[in-house]
Amino acid sequence: MSLQPLNSNSFEKIIYDDGESCLVVFSRKDCHVCKEVVPILEELAPKYDGKFGFYYVDVEEQKPLFQRFSLKGVPQILFFKDGEYQGKLAGAVDDEKVSDKITEVLES
Amino acid sequence: MADIMNNYDLIIIGGGPAGLTAAIYGGRARLKTLVINKGTLGGQVNTTREIVNYPGFIQTGGSGLMKMFKTHAETFGVEFLKDEVNDVDFSQEEKMIRVKKGKEFSAKAVLIACGCEPRLLNIPGEKRLRGSGVAYCATCDAEFFEGEDVVVVGSGDQAIEEGMYITKFARKVTVIVLHDEGIMDCNKVSAEKAFQNDKMEFIWNSTIEEVLGKDNVEGVKIKNLKTGESSELICQGVFFFVGMVPSTHFLKESGVEMDQRGYIPVNDLMETNVEGVYAVGDNRIKYLRQVVSAAGDGATAAVAAERYIEELNSFNINVLECDKKVLLLFLDALNNKSLEFSTLLEEVNRELNERYKVVKVDMATKKNQAKKYWIENVPSVLVLDKGQEIKRLKCSLNRENLKSQLI
Ligand SMILES: Cc1cc2nc3c(=O)[nH]c(=O)nc-3n(C[C@H](O)[C@H](O)[C@H](O)COP(=O)(O)OP(=O)(O)OC[C@H]3O[C@@H](n4cnc5c(N)ncnc54)[C@H](O)[C@@H]3O)c2cc1C
Repeated sequence: MSLQPLNSNSFEKIIYDDGESCLVVFSRKDCHVCKEVVPILEELAPKYDGKFGFYYVDVEEQKPLFQRFSLKGVPQILFFKDGEYQGKLAGAVDDEKVSDKITEVLES
Repeated sequence: MADIMNNYDLIIIGGGPAGLTAAIYGGRARLKTLVINKGTLGGQVNTTREIVNYPGFIQTGGSGLMKMFKTHAETFGVEFLKDEVNDVDFSQEEKMIRVKKGKEFSAKAVLIACGCEPRLLNIPGEKRLRGSGVAYCATCDAEFFEGEDVVVVGSGDQAIEEGMYITKFARKVTVIVLHDEGIMDCNKVSAEKAFQNDKMEFIWNSTIEEVLGKDNVEGVKIKNLKTGESSELICQGVFFFVGMVPSTHFLKESGVEMDQRGYIPVNDLMETNVEGVYAVGDNRIKYLRQVVSAAGDGATAAVAAERYIEELNSFNINVLECDKKVLLLFLDALNNKSLEFSTLLEEVNRELNERYKVVKVDMATKKNQAKKYWIENVPSVLVLDKGQEIKRLKCSLNRENLKSQLI
């Protein structure tokens, strides 16, 4: 399942207005680590259907978004709940790390 | 026990250029071949922007070249699995391999082609600030440092080439070099280009001890190795290019020999110390770690593995599954006494109405079998019943003596 891409507007709505529990991966097309991390998320997403959202931001197309979080690299997975930032995972991560972090966010 | 579907002739761990080349040779030799690779197929080559020294390709993108390797292997029927091998058992003739998602596989021969991964310095701040200014890939992250100050640690090809790429974005790139002024580990052409680049600066005889910063990188602590003095340098980014380490940690308990750093020693056939297990590409001890040499290793090992498997199969059919008792004769085609003895043994067996089946093993080509039965001299004869040794003959050229041992 491919992840739903976000732009500044949809980001605003989903993260802050709706306060959805979710993660957003900041990624770019020619980054080899991203190419490993994104498929892991795509595989994981169906398991959390309806409970936890999975979104995608292309940093080349959405510069203001990564500037806003003053990100210093891709891939980075940012976690949100009730409109609040819950932390991030940077670089190469495996499915376990992501699942653990999701559980932590859901239970917090 | 692995079910029958998971049995292979050849399993290749790692799908970089070494593993993929071995797969092409294995598939072409009609071996049932599986490549298990974690991450993106093609390995480290995916991290290179371009390759300019692979024969036949004046300039090519790394990942494009690897896609061609993979397609080539697929045309020969090779199977691929995306997973990580995290446990192996090489103690039996049938080698077992377990992957992270839980599946088990078995193979007659195994190729270790896991390559290398970037070394971490394990200094304070390195892990904590990863993605917040600490980076390992210029293509991925250089752009985030537009107009900022960046430190590059290391002076190898990768450090200097990536450092120059970062100058396209950063205000200044400071390279921290272990060696005396003017000495770098990279090739001469890159070094000269770097020295001429106005945005590149160098700090010699030094390494870094700590990455500083609360939420983002704010600087680094530099240690001068000559004077022992520490100093701080303000920067917003640190790129580490401090070499590679072999990805062989999962083999620690496997019995496969490794040096202290984890590189695997092999012989000309790419054989490790474990029979039927080969190591190829960057994860073995070698002089040149490049795509072309990785591919060469893969070809050698696949052919060696093919011969080994053939030997194993024919041995199983001729010896282990034979109804008669077997006289396993080790000889050397270049040794007259062993040839003479061979003729005599067959004659005697004929006189005994072919009571035994005579199977000849040429020591020159079938070293593995000789090793397995602790044979050192030719001629030697073992009497086997369903593969079990029942006795060893005294190899005399005296007909009656020989006959008496066989009755
Ligand atoms: C930045 C950079 C630039 C380079 N430029 C060049 C160049 O211009 N020309 C050149 O010839 N060479 C270049 N090289 C070197 C070249 O990439 C390597 O020599 C080559 O990739 C080695 O191939 P390999 O198959 O041995 O290993 P790798 O390419 O490292 O592949 C190993 C594969 O095994 C996988 N793996 C590891 N552990 C496991 C496990 N437990 N289970 C399953 N899979 C596993 C890895 O994920 C990887 O996919 C460069 C390297 C780098 C890093």
